[in-house]
Amino acid sequence: MSDKPVKFYTKDKAHKDAEKLLEDNVLGDSSGSPLTESSQNKPLLPESAVKVGFKGNKAKSWLRKLFWPSLSTFIVFAAGYEAYGFVTELIETNWLLGAVAGLIASAVVISGGFALFKGWRARRQFKKREQQQATLRRLLSDNSYGKASQVLEEVTHDIEEYVNVTSLENDFEKKKQQVHNDHELIQIYSGTVLKGLDKMAIDIVTKHASEAAAMVALSPLAAADMALVAWRSSKMIEQLSRLYGCPQTALGRFEMTKRVFKNMMLAGASELVADAGVELLGKSLTATISAKAAQGIGVGVLIARMGLQTMHLCRPVPFGQENKPRLGQIRKSIYQKVAGLVKTASTGKSDKSKDTIEKKK
Amino acid sequence: MDLIDKVKTKSNELIDRGLNRNVRIAVTGLSGAGKTAFTTSMINQLLQAPIEEHLTFFSVNAQSRMQACKLTQHQELHIPSFDYSGALTHLISDSPQWPESTRNVSQAQIKCRFRVGHRWIKKLQSDSTVTVEIVDYPGEWLLDLPLLAMDYKSWSKACIKYLNSERRKQYTEGIQNKIRAFDYKSLQDETALAKELKGVANEYRASLSSYRNDYNDYGLALPGRFILPGALADAPTLDFFPVLNEDLLSLDWEQFEQNSSLKVLEKRFNYYKEKVIKPFFEEYFTKVDRQIVLIDTCSVLESGYESYQDLKDTVERLLEGFSYGRSNWLKRLFSPSIDKLMIATTKVDLVPPDQHSAMESFMQKMVAQAKNNVGYEGVEVETMAISAVATSEPVATEHEGEKLLCVKGIEEHSGESVIHYPGRVPSKGLSRQEWNDLDIDFAPFAIPELSEDEALPHIRMDKVIEFLIGDKFI
Repeated sequence: MSDKPVKFYTKDKAHKDAEKLLEDNVLGDSSGSPLTESSQNKPLLPESAVKVGFKGNKAKSWLRKLFWPSLSTFIVFAAGYEAYGFVTELIETNWLLGAVAGLIASAVVISGGFALFKGWRARRQFKKREQQQATLRRLLSDNSYGKASQVLEEVTHDIEEYVNVTSLENDFEKKKQQVHNDHELIQIYSGTVLKGLDKMAIDIVTKHASEAAAMVALSPLAAADMALVAWRSSKMIEQLSRLYGCPQTALGRFEMTKRVFKNMMLAGASELVADAGVELLGKSLTATISAKAAQGIGVGVLIARMGLQTMHLCRPVPFGQENKPRLGQIRKSIYQKVAGLVKTASTGKSDKSKDTIEKKK
Repeated sequence: MDLIDKVKTKSNELIDRGLNRNVRIAVTGLSGAGKTAFTTSMINQLLQAPIEEHLTFFSVNAQSRMQACKLTQHQELHIPSFDYSGALTHLISDSPQWPESTRNVSQAQIKCRFRVGHRWIKKLQSDSTVTVEIVDYPGEWLLDLPLLAMDYKSWSKACIKYLNSERRKQYTEGIQNKIRAFDYKSLQDETALAKELKGVANEYRASLSSYRNDYNDYGLALPGRFILPGALADAPTLDFFPVLNEDLLSLDWEQFEQNSSLKVLEKRFNYYKEKVIKPFFEEYFTKVDRQIVLIDTCSVLESGYESYQDLKDTVERLLEGFSYGRSNWLKRLFSPSIDKLMIATTKVDLVPPDQHSAMESFMQKMVAQAKNNVGYEGVEVETMAISAVATSEPVATEHEGEKLLCVKGIEEHSGESVIHYPGRVPSKGLSRQEWNDLDIDFAPFAIPELSEDEALPHIRMDKVIEFLIGDKFI
């Protein structure tokens, strides 16, 4: 770039060529996509710069890596071979039976392949999201200009596939100015588009958590409780990840669930300390209701916390101190749901009839 | 019912008093830094905020909690009102001009009605009012502040250093010789002495004023009222000048007689300090909660190493006054209670947006020591690159085969649309050699056509407002 002051008048070519910055990406062209750039300049990534730890044992990890793919290929190969033998045997006995079996087998292969493909895509999307998060986090701490808009556009594009965010996006477009640097731009994006999504996400978490709490409070079987928790939480994670534009399917969700639990154990520990006071207070309340209801509330809080962790993982821009979602609100609605259930259960029908009479009056 | 209402109003009053929803902002800056434009823009943004909701980083506005704002009459009736409508008319007229520079202290008061956001306070009162007072005053007078910490002797010593700098020498040589030849021991008739002093003082003032016209920089040799006397024009208290004889300065002045010309000069200096500067700052600093210091980094960059050093020195001295330690003289005098200080570099609309951060960090380096001192006292300090009234828009163009970010505006003298690249703004302090090599040129643009119904175009005014008063809107 030139370092000398220059002036272009109306008659100059440069003046005519000048593009207004309102159309973005003007800067991006020369430097290339910030995403690819960041993957090339690995040292710039904060994670790799900060991480201090054991050196990976390369040979061992390579051998270890080989285990699962080879095992699965072997199983697939063996199963395919067996299936082939099985179908040919059936054809020899009766061609109709064989054809049906063959058809079913091919359906299994096709649907399985499709599921695998979707899982792979979801995984890739999750990886991409992680990279976006790293880039945005870096831009938030840098004093750069003109790099964020491209990443943000990409993120919006991802989200738009699943959620209608036109009004939120218009709000963002209205609020941003050409002079905003990356830090400000990301803040505005976080305050408009993502804030809208956060609200919806909290609704989803509240809904699932309080529903699960109610179900566990009512269900008579411990085994059923576990199944319920698994079902509701997986449903919730699916919906949340869809909302933030990186939907996770069965396979990917497994990875995601693993991460969520890991984060809950690690990052959650500090939150636990902060929440402990409130929770103790809560316990005395729950104890008075009943053991089962307390279990329900416990499960509800657990699912809510899982939901919040999922939000942390999926949100392209990390939460700030002031917009961080808090467990308090969700817990309140869980209490209300379970407490309402217990009340109606304990007072029984007489109460209900009273209500209707009062309403009639 | 009556009782309930009474309790309600009482509790509202209590809350307002407890939360202290009054903010008094002092707009500080040397002349030419854009204080009047800043004050005008700030009032304008606040008045337009409830209607347009355009202040993205002003959280109460972004949350749509702002209901209405209006200009009101302030309590301190002896301070003139800030002429907001006049300043705005200047900006939006057919041949727009910058508002006239401030010639006296003035104050504006805005009341902002908003919905309470805090979830506990919300239960007690649904909406409330924040009163924002903005005080504007001539930047020239600010130069007086450091004088308060000096006596006549140390002021003279500081002046010798200042007057003998390379650039100023040619302007001040004549008067310096004259002052050196002045007979300090003479015992004259009062009226004759007064006349003589006035003659020399006038010459002293004139020589520095002509220097200042050429270079527009700031120093301690020229007390503020010398440049802008206000009501003090021709008053004898302004007829003094520094002692420039080194040997005289090393003497003990006790031996001089009370009515010797030296003692008369000292008396005038002290009178100026006690009766002019002190009352002004006393009134000015009491009850100020927040302060913004505006620095015109653009013109510093343009005018080179010497004015950089001058400004750095002056800013350090100014902020020294604002660091409110226990042993601080300003604290002892006025006990100010400033808890937030913003140091902003103005006129960044002349700089392409990708260089704003460089501009900010250059300014940061300049005030680093002073900022550190203030921060140590527990005052929240922030720096920012802002433009109160933006006169340009950023564009990208091609130059020598490369993309170049520029600013586009209207050239001041020709009225022609022009795209300007000011050169590379340094992001750190420069050595003398680097200063000489620095090739930079910020051409000021003319004010574009502005509409009365829309908020003035600005850069980061919303962030400034959030920092200064955002925490009061809870």
